[in-house]
Amino acid sequence: MSKNTSASLTGFLFVVLCLFGSLAAYATQHSATGAAASSNIPGAEGEELPFTFDPKTGKRIIPDSRCLDCHGDEKQKTDVRDDGTPVKIFVEHAQLTASVHGDHSCTDCHTTIERVPHRKAPHVAVSCVDCHRDTWEKFKDDPEGKHERLKVVLEQIDSYMDSVHALPNKQDQSRTNATCYDCHEAHNVGELGSIQRKEKRLKNPEVCGRCHEKQLEEYRDSDHGKAVLEKGDSDSAVCSDCHTTHKIASPEKDAVKLAITRNCGNCHEDAQRTYFASYHGQVHRLGYTNTAKCYDCHGSHKIKGEDDPTSEIHANNRLENCRTCHEDANDNFLSFWPHGDADDRANYPGLWFFKIFMQLLIFSVMAFFWIHVLMWLYREVMERIQGKGFIEDLDHPEVVYFRRFPTVWTWIHALFAISTMVLILTGTTLLFSHTAWAKAVVVFLGGTEMEGIIHRTAAVIWLGIFTAHLAIAINNIWTKRATFEWFGSTSMLPNWKDWDDLKGMFRWFVGRGERPEFNHWTYWQKFDYWAPFWGAGVIGSSGIMLFAPEATATVLPGWMFNIATVVHAEEALLAAIFLNSVHFFNVHFRPERFPMSTTIFTGAIPMEEFKHDHRLEYDRLVAEGTLDRHLVKRPSRRADLAASFITTVLIVAGLTLLTLVLYGVVTMPN
Amino acid sequence: MKKTVRHLLLALLATSSAAQAAGPTAQALAFTCAGCHGTDGSSVGPSSPTIAGMDPDVFTDAMLDYKNEKRSSTIMKRIALGYTDEQIREMGFFFYRQQPRTKPQKTDPELVALGKSLHDSYCEKCHEEGGRPGDAGTLAGQWMPYLEHAMSDYLNDQRRWPRKMERKVKEAVKAEGERAVPALIQYYGSQN
Repeated sequence: MSKNTSASLTGFLFVVLCLFGSLAAYATQHSATGAAASSNIPGAEGEELPFTFDPKTGKRIIPDSRCLDCHGDEKQKTDVRDDGTPVKIFVEHAQLTASVHGDHSCTDCHTTIERVPHRKAPHVAVSCVDCHRDTWEKFKDDPEGKHERLKVVLEQIDSYMDSVHALPNKQDQSRTNATCYDCHEAHNVGELGSIQRKEKRLKNPEVCGRCHEKQLEEYRDSDHGKAVLEKGDSDSAVCSDCHTTHKIASPEKDAVKLAITRNCGNCHEDAQRTYFASYHGQVHRLGYTNTAKCYDCHGSHKIKGEDDPTSEIHANNRLENCRTCHEDANDNFLSFWPHGDADDRANYPGLWFFKIFMQLLIFSVMAFFWIHVLMWLYREVMERIQGKGFIEDLDHPEVVYFRRFPTVWTWIHALFAISTMVLILTGTTLLFSHTAWAKAVVVFLGGTEMEGIIHRTAAVIWLGIFTAHLAIAINNIWTKRATFEWFGSTSMLPNWKDWDDLKGMFRWFVGRGERPEFNHWTYWQKFDYWAPFWGAGVIGSSGIMLFAPEATATVLPGWMFNIATVVHAEEALLAAIFLNSVHFFNVHFRPERFPMSTTIFTGAIPMEEFKHDHRLEYDRLVAEGTLDRHLVKRPSRRADLAASFITTVLIVAGLTLLTLVLYGVVTMPN
Repeated sequence: MKKTVRHLLLALLATSSAAQAAGPTAQALAFTCAGCHGTDGSSVGPSSPTIAGMDPDVFTDAMLDYKNEKRSSTIMKRIALGYTDEQIREMGFFFYRQQPRTKPQKTDPELVALGKSLHDSYCEKCHEEGGRPGDAGTLAGQWMPYLEHAMSDYLNDQRRWPRKMERKVKEAVKAEGERAVPALIQYYGSQN
C-alpha cells in the first residue's frame, strides 16, 4: 500500500464517520420529537407505566376510588369549606353506579378536578349540556338506539335554555337561576321506569321548594301536597306536572298561563272538557288568557276540595272569585255551573234536555232538508236530461221581468245576510276554538275582546233589521188590512196548499207526478222566512242573556248561562249549516238556477222563470188583468253585474263558512 | 498511521458533539440531586427526603414553588432556578419511576402505634396507604429528622400549609396533645 493510497483511505473513512455522526444526531433528535408527538409523558414511549396518567394527554387519571376516599365516607358526610361553612360532600356510590350515569367515572363529569387532594377549593362546574350533546352526536345513528333517550334530553335542554331558570340570577349574575343539578340529583338520575325516577317525582316539590319556599308551604297544605308529601301518592300533582319540567317561565306570561291550565287537564280530563265547553274555556283554547282559568277559581298552590272551608271554591268563598272579573256579580252567580256537562244527564238534567232537544232539532231539520235537496237535485238533473223543466231560450233572451221585491227588502236581505255571516264567523270561532282556523281568525280580528265587540255589534244590527222588517211587514198588512187575506196567495202564513205542495214535490221527486204549481211564496221560501223567527227567539234571547252577565244575573239564576250557552251555539250551528247549504241550493244551486239567482238584489225575476216557479200567481194576475203592474224592464247590465257580484261574494263567503263550520263539527273533541 | 488515528478521533468527536444536540436526559439532570437525595432519589442522609417514587406532580409543585419563592428553602431555590419547567417535569417523571430504597430507623413502638391511629383518623384520606408515595406526597419511610424539620416549618408558619392539612394536624394535636406530631413522625419513620 502506497503512502498516497493510505492517505486516501483514511480521508474516506473520515468522511463516512462524519456522515454517520450527523445521521445519528438527526435520528436522535427525530426520535425525540416523535416520542413527544405521540405521548405527553416524558420517557413514556412504549413503557409500561407504573402510574395512572393518560399517555396521550399527559393528564392524571383519577380513579373513582380516590374520590371516594373522602366523598364515599359515610362517617363524614360533610366537610367545611375554606371559609368555614359546612358543605355536604357525600356521594352514594352504589346509587351512582345504579343510575343512568353508572358507567362514568367521577372525572368524566367533574372535568375541572385535576388533582386530588384538591389543591384549591374545587370549582364544581359540570357541563351536562355539552356532554349530552356530544354523546348524542356520537350515537344518534347507532342502530341499537341505546342512546335514543338522549334525543328527549336534548329537547329538554333546549327548553331549559329558553327558561327563566337559565337566565342569570339577579343577585349573582355569574350564575344561572337554576342549573341541571339543582333539580336533578346529580348522582342519582334513574333510567325511565326506574325506582329512582319514582322517588324523584315524590321529591319534586321539596326540590323546587328549596328556592320557591312560599309556594312549597302553600302546596304542603293543599290536597295535591298532602297526597304527595304525606301519603306518598305519586299520582297526585307535583310542581312539574303543572309548570312543566324544563320550559319554566314566569306565570305572569300568557304562554305559561295557557300551559298550566292545559296541564291541569292531563289529570282532570272531565273538568277540562267541560271547561273548554264553557265561554271561559273557549277563549282560553283560542290562546287568550282574559277569562277565568283553573287556578283563578281553584287557587294555584293551595288547591283544596269544595268542602274545605278554607278552599277557594268553598260556597262561602266562591263569589269572591267571580268578582275578580265580574265586579258586580251577585249571589245568582253561585248557581252557575262552571263545569256544567250537557252530556251528564244525571247531574245536569236541564242542560242535558236542552242539548238533546237542540240536537234533535238540528238532525231532523237537516236530515229532512238534505234529503229534500238530494231528491230535488236528482229530479232536476233527470228532467234536464229529458229536455224538460225551465231551460233558458238563448234565441229569445228575456226582456220582460216580473218585480218580486221592492228595494227595501233588497237592503234588508243584504244587511241580514252580512250580519248573519259575521255572527257565524265570530261565534263559531268560540264554538270551534279547537281548530287552527278559529285561532287564526281571532288573531286576524284582533283578539277575543275585539271579536266580542264585533259579534255584539253584528247582533245589534241583526236584531235591528229583524225589528225593522217586522215593522214594515206589520205596516204593509195594516195598510192592506181591508183586503189582506191571512191565508191567501200572497201571505207568508203557511196553509194547506203548502202541505199539498210538499207532498206533490216528493211525488215529483220520485217520478210519480208533475211538479206542483206555486203561488207567490213556495213552502220552502216560507220555511226560510219563518226559520229566522225561531232563530231570533232562541239565539236572540240567549244572546242577550250572555251579552251582559251581571245584568242577566239580577233576574235569572246562574245556570241559565249554561243553558243559554248550549242553545245559542246549537241554534247558530243549525242556522249556519241550513242557510249555507239548503237555502243556497233552493235559491242558487239547483240546476234551473245554477250558478245563482240575483232576484233578491235586482228585485226582478225573468218572466219565463217566474211563470215556471210561480205559475198560479201568473195565471191569477193574467186572469185579474193586473200582470202589467208587476212587469219591469230587464235590469241594466250594470245592475245585473252588481247583483251578480254581491251574490257571488255572499255565496263564496257562505260556502267558506259552511266548510269551516263542518270542519269544526267533524273535528270537535268528544 | 498517526494521521489515521487522528482522523478517526476527530470523527468520533464530531459524532459525539452531534449527539449532544438532543439535550441531557432526565436521568442526567437528576444526577445533580444525588448528592443530597441519594442515588436515584433514595436519600441516605437524615435531613433530605427520599424523592424516589415521588408523585411527578408533587415533585413539580415543590420545584416550582422553590423556583418562584413560594416555599422557603436553603439551597433548593438556587437549584430549581437551574432547570426549565419542562426539565423539572421530566425529572419528576424520572424520580417517579425509581423504586425508593429506605433504611430502617429506630422507633418507639408505643408512639408508632399512636401515630398509626392518628394517621388513620386524620391523615389517611390524603396520604393514603399509610403515607406511601402518592398524589399528596411521600411520608412513609422518610427520614424522621427530615419530617421533624418539615413539621416544625409548618407549625412555625415557615411553610404554607396545604389545604385542610393545618386543620387536620391541629385536630390531631387537640386529640393527643404534644405527642401527636412526634407519634405521626415515628409511625412514618417506622415504615420502610
